[in-house]
Amino acid sequence: MEIKDIKVQISDDSVLVRKKMKDHLASLGITTVFEAVNGNEAVDVYKANKPDVVFMDIVMPEKSGVEALIDILAYDSSAKVVMASSVGTQDNLKIAIAAGAYEFLQKPVNFDDVTKIIEKIAERK
Amino acid sequence: MFTQFFGNYLFNEKLVTKQQLIEALEMQKFARAKLGVLAINAGYMTAAQVDEVHAEQQRMDKRFGDIAVDKGYMTESQVETLLSNQKQAHLVIGQALVDKGYLTNEQFANALAKYKENNLIEERDFTDDQNRKIDTIIRNFYIFNTFESDVEFFTEYTSLVFKNIIRFIGDDFIPLAPEAITSYKAEKISYQMVNGKGEVFTAIEGPETAMIEFAKRYSHEELNSFDELTRESVAEFLNLHNGLFTVNMSNNKQIELQLEPQISKEEIELSTKGSMFVMPICFPFGTISVIISSDKIKAE
Repeated sequence: MEIKDIKVQISDDSVLVRKKMKDHLASLGITTVFEAVNGNEAVDVYKANKPDVVFMDIVMPEKSGVEALIDILAYDSSAKVVMASSVGTQDNLKIAIAAGAYEFLQKPVNFDDVTKIIEKIAERK
Repeated sequence: MFTQFFGNYLFNEKLVTKQQLIEALEMQKFARAKLGVLAINAGYMTAAQVDEVHAEQQRMDKRFGDIAVDKGYMTESQVETLLSNQKQAHLVIGQALVDKGYLTNEQFANALAKYKENNLIEERDFTDDQNRKIDTIIRNFYIFNTFESDVEFFTEYTSLVFKNIIRFIGDDFIPLAPEAITSYKAEKISYQMVNGKGEVFTAIEGPETAMIEFAKRYSHEELNSFDELTRESVAEFLNLHNGLFTVNMSNNKQIELQLEPQISKEEIELSTKGSMFVMPICFPFGTISVIISSDKIKAE
């Protein structure tokens, strides 16, 4: 699959983080981007669009990113959810890994890491 | 200051499997790092020397520290320093993985060195001038005994706030004398609760023009008015800083904290029956205040 055809979901309550991600994805030629601003929306947006990869913030209103991760994987066990957060409590880390998080990104997000993840997913599709 | 967990790092680098990491995380509640792992971390001994002392321990009933001192690898005072660091989270995880046989001492030493190289921001990454500035601020902090029980927690917090301001905003600021007060009129404010060691209120506040400039520097976006993107840039800085603080409290102090989502408001009054600590920071573009309190804060 070509990188530009990858469908990406960004789940973050910060409009700044979403904008930065979208700008970066656009620079890779990716145009199919879905956004969610809290954990509940993240689950709904996933179910509606089945993106190839989800970038998920941990600290979000209504439902945390870790809870949304668990719900998404219960719905689709092959979902690729990348946890992106400046916070990792050790407990969150344990729950997220056990639940099946695909990878972890550290905030502030290094966009080279995002590119690498997208490339890896494109290769396997 | 660490920017991510050692466990995260090991998992992302595929140095341990998911199952191995979960096991290590489970074990760490009861575990403490042993001298070999601590000596590698401190750079006192190489992995090969640690293996050698371990081998020696199989033959004689002597403690690791005693053998290492006999062999001239460490001094007694180094051993004592290490023993006081036994519960640092990243080392405890390393110990659990080594104990389980998932990592050799050498693999642990290499992984730890790389982790530190990529994720540790040390004092030396700041200039002398920047470090002096941070020290001065921290000394000012001690004038206040209002926060007796939390002095250490707040000191760590304040020190990291200024490091992050230097990293993400700039070092062209002068910290003004901090104040302990019971009420504060906030113009534009983003705040976030940090829970775990009680509930701690943290905030960044300032007038519109200063907040726009602060947001611009953090986000590198073209911001001209106090709109959603501006507001959230300030909030995101606070969230990022608090996130880094939780990693450091876990690694260095074994305190696990949780963050609530950050909230932005305008023209509100903060009040408390206890006290809140306000640190004004004067930039060329205006004055921003960092506010922190472990007392209950009413924001309305």
